[in-house]
Amino acid sequence: MNSYGFGFEAMSSSCEIRLDGDDEHALAEAAERAIEEVRRIELKYSRYRDDSIVSRINAAAGRSEWVEVDAETASLLDFAGSLHALSDGLFDITSGVLRRAWDFRSGRVPEAAGLQALLPLIGWPQVEWSRVNAPDRRIRLPRAGMELDFGGFGKEYAADRAMATLAVAGLRHGFVNLGGDIRVLGARSDGGAWRFGIQHPRNAEGTIASVDMTEGALASSGDYERFFELDGRRYCHILDPRTGWPVSSWASVSVTAPACAAAGALSTIAMLKGDEALAFLATQGATYLAVDTALRTFHPELPAAQPFFSGEHE
Amino acid sequence: MAWAEVAVAATDAKPCRGDKAGAIIAAALALPGVTAHAESAPERGVVALKYLNYKDSQPGLDRIAVNAPSIYVLAPISPRWAVDGSLVSDSVSGATPRYHTAISGATPRMTDKRLAGNVQVTRYFERSNVAIGLASSNENDYNSKAGSLNASFSSDDNNTTWNVGLGYASDKIGSTNDATLHETKQTSELLLGVTQDWTANDLIQLNFTLNSGRGYFSDPYKSVDNRPRERDQAIALARWNHYFAGAGGALRSAYRFYRDTFGIKAHTLGAEWVQSVGRFTITPSLRLYTQNAAKFYFDPIYDPDVGAPYPPGYFTNPPQYSSADQRLAAFGAVTVGLQIGVNIGADWLVDLKAERYEQRTGWRVIGTGSPGLDPFQATWLQVGVEKRF
Amino acid sequence: MSPAIAMEHFLITPSRSSRAVCALIAAAALGGCAFAPPQPWEKGNLAKPQMSMGRDPLDQAFTQHIYGSKEAASGGYGVGGGGCGCN
Repeated sequence: MNSYGFGFEAMSSSCEIRLDGDDEHALAEAAERAIEEVRRIELKYSRYRDDSIVSRINAAAGRSEWVEVDAETASLLDFAGSLHALSDGLFDITSGVLRRAWDFRSGRVPEAAGLQALLPLIGWPQVEWSRVNAPDRRIRLPRAGMELDFGGFGKEYAADRAMATLAVAGLRHGFVNLGGDIRVLGARSDGGAWRFGIQHPRNAEGTIASVDMTEGALASSGDYERFFELDGRRYCHILDPRTGWPVSSWASVSVTAPACAAAGALSTIAMLKGDEALAFLATQGATYLAVDTALRTFHPELPAAQPFFSGEHE
Repeated sequence: MAWAEVAVAATDAKPCRGDKAGAIIAAALALPGVTAHAESAPERGVVALKYLNYKDSQPGLDRIAVNAPSIYVLAPISPRWAVDGSLVSDSVSGATPRYHTAISGATPRMTDKRLAGNVQVTRYFERSNVAIGLASSNENDYNSKAGSLNASFSSDDNNTTWNVGLGYASDKIGSTNDATLHETKQTSELLLGVTQDWTANDLIQLNFTLNSGRGYFSDPYKSVDNRPRERDQAIALARWNHYFAGAGGALRSAYRFYRDTFGIKAHTLGAEWVQSVGRFTITPSLRLYTQNAAKFYFDPIYDPDVGAPYPPGYFTNPPQYSSADQRLAAFGAVTVGLQIGVNIGADWLVDLKAERYEQRTGWRVIGTGSPGLDPFQATWLQVGVEKRF
Repeated sequence: MSPAIAMEHFLITPSRSSRAVCALIAAAALGGCAFAPPQPWEKGNLAKPQMSMGRDPLDQAFTQHIYGSKEAASGGYGVGGGGCGCN
């Protein structure tokens, strides 16, 4: 069997579907369908398209009308609600409005007043959501200016769905990689595991560790994805919804889990949890590699923080 | 490229992940279409041939010899469907005692051929599979037809698999000694089992089987053999495979408890060590077995007036059921075996297995064995070749 | 780029690193916790042929048939085979 990589751009990332098999045409066709599934999800939950369900919900914020949602969106909203509850309110899909205050390209720290003005718009408990089991699935954002943002788990969910598309097509060897959010379809054709590197949080060219997987998912969250540094302090894109300020305890957290949606949520919440991250990951039964800002690594199998291995920065 | 390994704690500091996935993992797995880890048919087909040569004996009498070629085929039809089947042809010749281990009362040398086959169709779903099977066994005095339905269900994390099986068999029994014998037997069977990935190096299986049979259970070739017309069985089987990474070998062990309404209780304990040596696999094995006697089994103490094979008082006070079949006596048995397999290329496997079995009443583990029975020995050899597609 | 190298580095950045020191996360531990169902990437050993529960159906069929015809107990491994008039 040969190994084929199908690269594409989606969700602002470089993506790849890798498949092992004999019939290149069949593999290409299946990869194409998986890529279509990724694009479908991207369009459906995109903030930038007026016709997406997210845009329609956001446009109706503060008005009296309800927006009906379909089964898939309802499940994702319930998932967001679970994550909010299980993270003690740290994972909040209404916190996307903070984007208006933080401009990572210009590297400016926002005015306190500007942030304060946004905080009342944040809070999942305010959202009027009928939950997926209700006969009419409808949602309303009560205040004008409130927004929902599925970016916190959209890419990971798309990785899972793309993998499912490949599995349903009968393929068994390969993986889906959406910019570092990975869901494995199955082992390599020789039965061996795929080896994935985890990016070094301070060296864009390097990896800090690698994981061998024949199934399951890997996702990482870090302070290096979008950030700026000012006066020796790093401001990253992971913002605490209660204060509007970035978190600063961890350089990166990578989690492996049976599904990418879980791995992504766990890694993001761990970043948000700061000092409580490891306890949180332990109660969730997660396997992770966490790197703090002093570049010490933490892993559930190791009794104590391990010194960082040098040799990266050549 | 240099690699450095993080020190892996081979210590007891590993936290006990006794509870299953946390709530977030469970919530993610509940999202639509996220866990389509399609349970699928085996990827490669298999054709296997195996030949059995078997001989048994007791002191002073060579008994049965069997030569049996067999073939097995597994053909995946698509990722969702697979068919498998086998065929075996036994050529049996020899003599067996008519009662207990009496040589003089042995049946005259006979030859018989048995042809048996089965076929099974399996349909694979996302987390489960269902299989329907038919089996048939034919020899000149015994015909059996059986059907089965098996289903397996896997958990989301693929660490737990539940198995359910239903079987039904209908047998027709005759006798070359007695042309008027036309008997039947029907058996129903239910199996419930679970296979669990216990740790990264341990696999555990537990099976519970209930079997209910009605009809003719006696052996028409044995003297004074009159068994109940019903037999219900209960079987518990526990299996454990443990992988020793350092040695590159695995220990496979099994314990089975059996009881039935004939009054038989039996324990079976087996272990084999599967050792990889390059392209070779060497597997020594040991099996210990013990059973008590059936309620209606009688020892070789015969009526003083009428003599063998009749038990005392057989005509004056006839027992409801009786049997002098040594297989229903109390005894213990030991099997030692050795298998050597060799992988040739990626597709071929050749193996040779030799086993030696001895059954002695003195070896019964719990309690005393039945008196007056000679030891029984058997040796068998299997030669097999297998190709994967 | 050979497939092996591409696989290791592709996901992180488009460019390829000249050298990396990688720490392997290996989760197998001997002893320790009694019940620890493996994570998906820890199942390599369980998939080895030495660990399979029912790898050789012809061997199992012969063996179960021999024991079933020489001892009183039988079964427990699966349902579906027919009977025989074994002596």
